[in-house]
Amino acid sequence: MHRDLPNPGWGPLSALPGNPLMWVLILSEMLVFTAFFALYAGQRALDPALFNASQQQLDPLLGGLNTLLLLTSGLCVAFAVEAISVGHTQRTRQWLGAAMLLGALFCAVKFIEYSDKFAAGLTPETNAFFGFYYGLTAFHFAHVVFGLMLLGLVSWRTSNENVETAAAFWHMVDLIWILLYPLIYLLR
Amino acid sequence: MTDLPGTRRLLITWAILMGLTVVSMISARLDQTTDWQTLPLWSVSLVLLATGFKAHRVLMVYLNLRAATPAWKGVFIGLTLLTLALISAGYLAGRFNVMG
Repeated sequence: MHRDLPNPGWGPLSALPGNPLMWVLILSEMLVFTAFFALYAGQRALDPALFNASQQQLDPLLGGLNTLLLLTSGLCVAFAVEAISVGHTQRTRQWLGAAMLLGALFCAVKFIEYSDKFAAGLTPETNAFFGFYYGLTAFHFAHVVFGLMLLGLVSWRTSNENVETAAAFWHMVDLIWILLYPLIYLLR
Repeated sequence: MTDLPGTRRLLITWAILMGLTVVSMISARLDQTTDWQTLPLWSVSLVLLATGFKAHRVLMVYLNLRAATPAWKGVFIGLTLLTLALISAGYLAGRFNVMG
Protein backbone atom coordinates (compact mmCIF):
# COMPACT_ATOMS: atom_id res chain seq x y z
CA MET A 1 0.00 0.00 0.00
CA HIS A 2 2.77 2.44 0.98
CA ARG A 3 4.54 2.09 -2.32
CA ASP A 4 1.38 3.36 -4.09
CA LEU A 5 1.42 6.66 -2.21
CA PRO A 6 2.89 9.63 -4.12
CA ASN A 7 4.75 10.89 -1.01
CA PRO A 8 5.45 8.04 1.43
CA GLY A 9 6.52 9.20 4.90
CA TRP A 10 4.41 12.38 4.94
CA GLY A 11 1.60 10.99 7.13
CA PRO A 12 -1.86 12.14 5.97
CA LEU A 13 -0.21 14.30 3.28
CA SER A 14 1.45 11.30 1.64
CA ALA A 15 -1.67 10.64 -0.46
CA LEU A 16 -1.44 14.03 -2.26
CA PRO A 17 0.30 14.34 -5.64
CA GLY A 18 3.32 16.66 -5.94
CA ASN A 19 5.03 18.46 -3.06
CA PRO A 20 2.96 17.97 0.15
CA LEU A 21 4.00 21.35 1.57
CA MET A 22 2.55 23.10 -1.49
CA TRP A 23 -0.79 21.45 -0.66
CA VAL A 24 -0.59 22.89 2.88
CA LEU A 25 -0.07 26.31 1.30
CA ILE A 26 -2.91 25.78 -1.19
CA LEU A 27 -5.31 24.74 1.58
CA SER A 28 -4.36 27.69 3.79
CA GLU A 29 -4.66 30.15 0.88
CA MET A 30 -8.07 28.75 -0.01
CA LEU A 31 -9.20 29.19 3.60
CA VAL A 32 -7.97 32.80 3.68
CA PHE A 33 -9.70 33.68 0.40
CA THR A 34 -12.89 31.89 1.54
CA ALA A 35 -12.92 34.10 4.65
CA PHE A 36 -12.48 37.25 2.52
CA PHE A 37 -15.19 36.12 0.09
CA ALA A 38 -17.53 35.51 3.02
CA LEU A 39 -16.80 39.00 4.35
CA TYR A 40 -17.50 40.48 0.92
CA ALA A 41 -20.75 38.49 0.62
CA GLY A 42 -21.83 39.65 4.09
CA GLN A 43 -21.12 43.31 3.31
CA ARG A 44 -22.89 43.01 -0.03
CA ALA A 45 -25.97 41.62 1.73
CA LEU A 46 -26.04 44.72 3.98
CA ASP A 47 -26.02 47.20 1.08
CA PRO A 48 -26.78 45.50 -2.26
CA ALA A 49 -27.75 48.79 -3.95
CA LEU A 50 -24.32 50.34 -3.30
CA PHE A 51 -22.51 47.18 -4.40
CA ASN A 52 -24.59 46.87 -7.60
CA ALA A 53 -24.07 50.52 -8.51
CA SER A 54 -20.32 50.30 -7.83
CA GLN A 55 -19.98 47.02 -9.70
CA GLN A 56 -21.35 48.78 -12.77
CA GLN A 57 -18.15 50.88 -12.83
CA LEU A 58 -16.07 47.72 -13.48
CA ASP A 59 -15.33 46.20 -16.87
CA PRO A 60 -16.48 42.55 -16.72
CA LEU A 61 -15.14 41.91 -20.22
CA LEU A 62 -11.60 42.71 -19.06
CA GLY A 63 -12.18 40.44 -16.06
CA GLY A 64 -13.36 37.70 -18.43
CA LEU A 65 -10.35 38.23 -20.68
CA ASN A 66 -8.11 37.82 -17.66
CA THR A 67 -9.90 34.58 -16.75
CA LEU A 68 -9.22 33.21 -20.25
CA LEU A 69 -5.56 34.31 -20.02
CA LEU A 70 -5.01 32.63 -16.65
CA LEU A 71 -6.76 29.40 -17.67
CA THR A 72 -4.64 29.17 -20.83
CA SER A 73 -1.53 29.93 -18.83
CA GLY A 74 -2.55 27.07 -16.50
CA LEU A 75 -2.73 24.75 -19.51
CA CYS A 76 0.82 25.75 -20.54
CA VAL A 77 2.08 25.01 -17.04
CA ALA A 78 0.34 21.62 -17.07
CA PHE A 79 2.06 20.88 -20.39
CA ALA A 80 5.37 21.90 -18.81
CA VAL A 81 4.79 19.28 -16.08
CA GLU A 82 4.02 16.68 -18.75
CA ALA A 83 7.20 17.65 -20.65
CA ILE A 84 9.52 17.48 -17.63
CA SER A 85 8.05 14.10 -16.64
CA VAL A 86 9.53 12.63 -19.85
CA GLY A 87 12.79 14.58 -19.50
CA HIS A 88 12.20 17.22 -22.19
CA THR A 89 13.86 20.15 -20.42
CA GLN A 90 13.89 22.50 -23.40
CA ARG A 91 10.21 21.86 -24.15
CA THR A 92 9.43 22.39 -20.46
CA ARG A 93 11.12 25.80 -20.53
CA GLN A 94 9.18 26.74 -23.66
CA TRP A 95 5.86 25.91 -22.00
CA LEU A 96 6.89 27.76 -18.85
CA GLY A 97 7.87 30.75 -21.00
CA ALA A 98 4.45 30.71 -22.69
CA ALA A 99 2.75 30.50 -19.27
CA MET A 100 4.79 33.45 -17.99
CA LEU A 101 3.95 35.51 -21.07
CA LEU A 102 0.23 34.92 -20.50
CA GLY A 103 0.66 35.68 -16.79
CA ALA A 104 2.40 38.94 -17.71
CA LEU A 105 -0.52 39.79 -20.02
CA PHE A 106 -2.88 39.19 -17.08
CA CYS A 107 -0.85 41.71 -15.09
CA ALA A 108 -0.95 44.22 -17.97
CA VAL A 109 -4.75 43.94 -18.23
CA LYS A 110 -5.05 44.38 -14.45
CA PHE A 111 -2.79 47.42 -14.63
CA ILE A 112 -5.01 48.95 -17.34
CA GLU A 113 -8.06 48.26 -15.17
CA TYR A 114 -6.50 49.85 -12.08
CA SER A 115 -5.34 52.87 -14.11
CA ASP A 116 -8.84 53.40 -15.51
CA LYS A 117 -10.41 53.19 -12.07
CA PHE A 118 -7.91 55.57 -10.49
CA ALA A 119 -8.31 57.99 -13.41
CA ALA A 120 -12.08 57.93 -12.76
CA GLY A 121 -11.44 58.77 -9.11
CA LEU A 122 -12.41 55.31 -7.90
CA THR A 123 -10.00 54.41 -5.11
CA PRO A 124 -10.09 51.92 -2.21
CA GLU A 125 -11.51 54.75 -0.06
CA THR A 126 -14.42 55.43 -2.43
CA ASN A 127 -16.76 52.99 -0.69
CA ALA A 128 -16.92 49.46 0.79
CA PHE A 129 -17.25 47.81 -2.62
CA PHE A 130 -14.09 49.41 -3.98
CA GLY A 131 -12.28 48.62 -0.73
CA PHE A 132 -13.05 44.95 -1.37
CA TYR A 133 -12.41 45.24 -5.13
CA TYR A 134 -8.92 46.62 -4.65
CA GLY A 135 -8.18 44.50 -1.59
CA LEU A 136 -9.20 41.16 -3.10
CA THR A 137 -7.84 41.72 -6.60
CA ALA A 138 -4.55 43.24 -5.36
CA PHE A 139 -4.06 40.32 -2.95
CA HIS A 140 -4.65 37.94 -5.84
CA PHE A 141 -2.40 40.07 -8.08
CA ALA A 142 0.41 39.69 -5.52
CA HIS A 143 -0.01 35.91 -5.82
CA VAL A 144 0.22 36.17 -9.62
CA VAL A 145 3.47 38.15 -9.35
CA PHE A 146 4.89 35.63 -6.84
CA GLY A 147 3.76 32.79 -9.11
CA LEU A 148 5.54 34.40 -12.08
CA MET A 149 8.72 34.61 -10.00
CA LEU A 150 8.34 30.92 -9.07
CA LEU A 151 7.86 29.95 -12.73
CA GLY A 152 10.94 31.99 -13.64
CA LEU A 153 12.92 30.27 -10.91
CA VAL A 154 11.96 26.76 -12.02
CA SER A 155 12.68 27.66 -15.66
CA TRP A 156 16.24 28.18 -14.44
CA ARG A 157 16.39 25.29 -11.94
CA THR A 158 14.35 22.84 -13.99
CA SER A 159 13.59 19.53 -12.28
CA ASN A 160 10.52 17.32 -11.91
CA GLU A 161 9.84 18.35 -8.33
CA ASN A 162 10.49 22.07 -8.88
CA VAL A 163 8.23 22.31 -11.93
CA GLU A 164 5.45 20.29 -10.28
CA THR A 165 5.60 22.47 -7.15
CA ALA A 166 5.54 25.79 -9.05
CA ALA A 167 2.75 24.43 -11.27
CA ALA A 168 0.62 23.61 -8.22
CA PHE A 169 1.01 27.19 -6.95
CA TRP A 170 0.09 28.59 -10.37
CA HIS A 171 -3.04 26.41 -10.58
CA MET A 172 -4.04 27.62 -7.11
CA VAL A 173 -3.82 31.19 -8.46
CA ASP A 174 -6.14 30.06 -11.31
CA LEU A 175 -8.56 28.49 -8.87
CA ILE A 176 -8.84 31.60 -6.70
CA TRP A 177 -9.47 33.81 -9.75
CA ILE A 178 -12.19 31.42 -10.98
CA LEU A 179 -14.04 32.05 -7.70
CA LEU A 180 -13.21 35.76 -7.51
CA TYR A 181 -14.31 36.72 -11.03
CA PRO A 182 -18.07 36.01 -10.72
CA LEU A 183 -18.18 37.33 -7.17
CA ILE A 184 -16.73 40.75 -7.99
CA TYR A 185 -17.64 41.23 -11.66
CA LEU A 186 -20.69 39.17 -12.59
CA LEU A 187 -23.21 38.61 -9.78
CA ARG A 188 -25.62 41.51 -9.43
CA MET B 1 6.12 12.04 -10.04
CA THR B 2 2.50 10.91 -9.96
CA ASP B 3 0.21 9.67 -12.70
CA LEU B 4 -0.33 12.78 -14.87
CA PRO B 5 -3.57 13.71 -16.68
CA GLY B 6 -2.16 13.44 -20.23
CA THR B 7 -2.34 15.86 -23.16
CA ARG B 8 -5.81 14.86 -24.36
CA ARG B 9 -7.43 15.24 -20.93
CA LEU B 10 -5.67 18.58 -20.39
CA LEU B 11 -6.87 19.93 -23.75
CA ILE B 12 -10.46 18.79 -23.11
CA THR B 13 -10.38 20.38 -19.65
CA TRP B 14 -8.99 23.64 -21.05
CA ALA B 15 -11.74 23.72 -23.71
CA ILE B 16 -14.39 23.12 -21.02
CA LEU B 17 -12.93 25.86 -18.81
CA MET B 18 -12.83 28.36 -21.67
CA GLY B 19 -16.36 27.43 -22.78
CA LEU B 20 -17.79 27.75 -19.26
CA THR B 21 -16.11 31.13 -18.81
CA VAL B 22 -17.83 32.38 -21.98
CA VAL B 23 -21.14 30.83 -20.79
CA SER B 24 -20.76 32.70 -17.48
CA MET B 25 -20.11 35.97 -19.27
CA ILE B 26 -23.15 35.49 -21.52
CA SER B 27 -25.32 34.42 -18.56
CA ALA B 28 -24.31 37.57 -16.71
CA ARG B 29 -25.78 39.63 -19.59
CA LEU B 30 -22.65 41.64 -20.25
CA ASP B 31 -24.38 43.05 -23.33
CA GLN B 32 -26.43 45.29 -21.00
CA THR B 33 -24.09 48.25 -21.30
CA THR B 34 -26.71 50.91 -20.70
CA ASP B 35 -29.44 49.00 -18.87
CA TRP B 36 -27.60 47.31 -15.99
CA GLN B 37 -30.33 45.19 -14.39
CA THR B 38 -30.38 42.61 -11.63
CA LEU B 39 -29.74 39.19 -13.12
CA PRO B 40 -32.59 36.67 -13.27
CA LEU B 41 -32.16 33.81 -10.81
CA TRP B 42 -31.59 31.22 -13.57
CA SER B 43 -28.72 33.35 -14.79
CA VAL B 44 -27.18 33.62 -11.31
CA SER B 45 -27.56 29.85 -10.88
CA LEU B 46 -25.86 29.22 -14.22
CA VAL B 47 -22.93 31.49 -13.32
CA LEU B 48 -22.50 29.73 -9.95
CA LEU B 49 -22.84 26.23 -11.43
CA ALA B 50 -20.30 27.04 -14.14
CA THR B 51 -17.95 28.45 -11.50
CA GLY B 52 -18.30 25.34 -9.32
CA PHE B 53 -17.65 23.01 -12.23
CA LYS B 54 -14.63 25.04 -13.36
CA ALA B 55 -13.16 24.93 -9.84
CA HIS B 56 -13.77 21.16 -9.76
CA ARG B 57 -11.96 20.66 -13.09
CA VAL B 58 -8.99 22.77 -12.01
CA LEU B 59 -8.70 20.79 -8.78
CA MET B 60 -9.07 17.38 -10.40
CA VAL B 61 -7.11 17.85 -13.64
CA TYR B 62 -4.82 20.89 -13.48
CA LEU B 63 -3.91 20.24 -9.84
CA ASN B 64 -4.19 16.48 -10.48
CA LEU B 65 -6.16 15.86 -7.29
CA ARG B 66 -7.75 12.85 -9.04
CA ALA B 67 -4.55 11.00 -8.06
CA ALA B 68 -5.22 11.67 -4.34
CA THR B 69 -7.40 9.71 -1.91
CA PRO B 70 -11.18 10.29 -1.72
CA ALA B 71 -10.69 11.98 1.67
CA TRP B 72 -8.43 14.70 0.22
CA LYS B 73 -10.70 15.14 -2.78
CA GLY B 74 -13.55 15.61 -0.30
CA VAL B 75 -11.63 18.24 1.67
CA PHE B 76 -10.88 20.42 -1.35
CA ILE B 77 -14.24 19.97 -3.07
CA GLY B 78 -15.97 20.57 0.26
CA LEU B 79 -14.06 23.81 0.78
CA THR B 80 -14.92 24.95 -2.75
CA LEU B 81 -18.59 24.15 -2.16
CA LEU B 82 -18.49 26.02 1.16
CA THR B 83 -17.03 29.05 -0.60
CA LEU B 84 -19.73 28.95 -3.27
CA ALA B 85 -22.43 28.46 -0.60
CA LEU B 86 -21.19 31.54 1.29
CA ILE B 87 -21.10 33.60 -1.92
CA SER B 88 -24.63 32.42 -2.83
CA ALA B 89 -25.97 33.07 0.68
CA GLY B 90 -24.61 36.63 0.69
CA TYR B 91 -25.99 37.28 -2.77
CA LEU B 92 -29.45 35.90 -1.95
CA ALA B 93 -29.60 37.70 1.42
CA GLY B 94 -28.94 41.00 -0.38
CA ARG B 95 -31.34 40.26 -3.19
CA PHE B 96 -34.24 39.36 -0.90
CA ASN B 97 -33.32 41.99 1.69
CA VAL B 98 -32.92 39.42 4.48
CA MET B 99 -30.48 41.65 6.39
CA GLY B 100 -32.97 44.52 6.51
